[in-house]
Amino acid sequence: MVLSGWESVFFWVFALAVLVAGLLTVMARNAVHSALFLISALVSVAALFVLLGAEFIAGVQILVYVGGVMVLFLFVIMLVNVGAEEREQEELFNRPRQVTAAVCFAALLVLGLFSAIRQSAGRFAPSAEEQQSTSTRAADGTRLRRAETRVSNISEDTQRVGASLYRYGALPFEIASVLLLVAIVGSVLLARTSKQELAADDVDPQVVSELSAAGELTPAEIEEAAHAHAAEV
Amino acid sequence: MNTLFTPALYVLQGSMLDNMKDGVAHPDLSKFLIIGALLFAVGVAGVLTRRNIIVIFMSIELILNAANLNFIAFSRYLQETGSVNAVAGQVFTVFIIVVAAAEAAIGLGLVIALYRNRETIFVDKIDLLKW
Repeated sequence: MVLSGWESVFFWVFALAVLVAGLLTVMARNAVHSALFLISALVSVAALFVLLGAEFIAGVQILVYVGGVMVLFLFVIMLVNVGAEEREQEELFNRPRQVTAAVCFAALLVLGLFSAIRQSAGRFAPSAEEQQSTSTRAADGTRLRRAETRVSNISEDTQRVGASLYRYGALPFEIASVLLLVAIVGSVLLARTSKQELAADDVDPQVVSELSAAGELTPAEIEEAAHAHAAEV
Repeated sequence: MNTLFTPALYVLQGSMLDNMKDGVAHPDLSKFLIIGALLFAVGVAGVLTRRNIIVIFMSIELILNAANLNFIAFSRYLQETGSVNAVAGQVFTVFIIVVAAAEAAIGLGLVIALYRNRETIFVDKIDLLKW
């Protein structure tokens, strides 16, 4: 797998964009800015996916991550109103031990990966035949053959992914759908207010009495919840 | 031990500049892996240094995306060697995206419940289970 010509230009542009946007995600003070930088990082990763010939995954990345997950993130950021609390956060990287740990871990990781790549350089390096095609492509200038760039077979790639998803990964696929269902029910349950909790039909009367004894609920609220429940039924 | 110093030896050999020029002009699998590793390290740094739990979740998304990038790069690499199971990497990536979406939904539900009860989303304030 060797990119050349415009492909390598795109690779470096988007690789740089991913890293810069990732760093800014981690370093931005405002959580909303972090979310926006993360969106640009995810879009750049999707561009790298397109470059690697995985158009379907790139589309899923844009639709699910940017369209779904990041919108959820932005909603929650605005719900909990971090901006008001931002001022009491004095220094961003104010924990030297953790910064040291992160830097050491990153250095180890990069060093280990680099030496692993070097060790198996023979296997990752292009074969003689591939090298030859690279040189002919260099002679061609920036014009690339369609079969090599996989520009023309978008639908074929998607077809292959879909086929193997349903043929070899049918059971994990179903399990994933159950997982999503559990996640939906779980997040609805977690985000319920105590008032909505009372309006549910499975509430324990003892919990109600405990809550009102603790002063967390006024009798009017309990009355209102009971009415809401009755109206629902 | 020798493998640990391989990069240093490599620099000393002097052929590094030529190889680097070639590597920049023709990025191969290893460049994608390096980008993935750097993205992973950035995400780990975010998880370790930030206090805002939402930003920590976003750093976890960065880490997952680094893994996805590696999966897709290996998938493309295997496709060109004519491997039978070349699209397995892409199928894995679909599942990772699904799990990441579920994780974000549950995690953000937890954040909302937490904010309702404790009025904070800073992880150093949430130390109830800390012994």
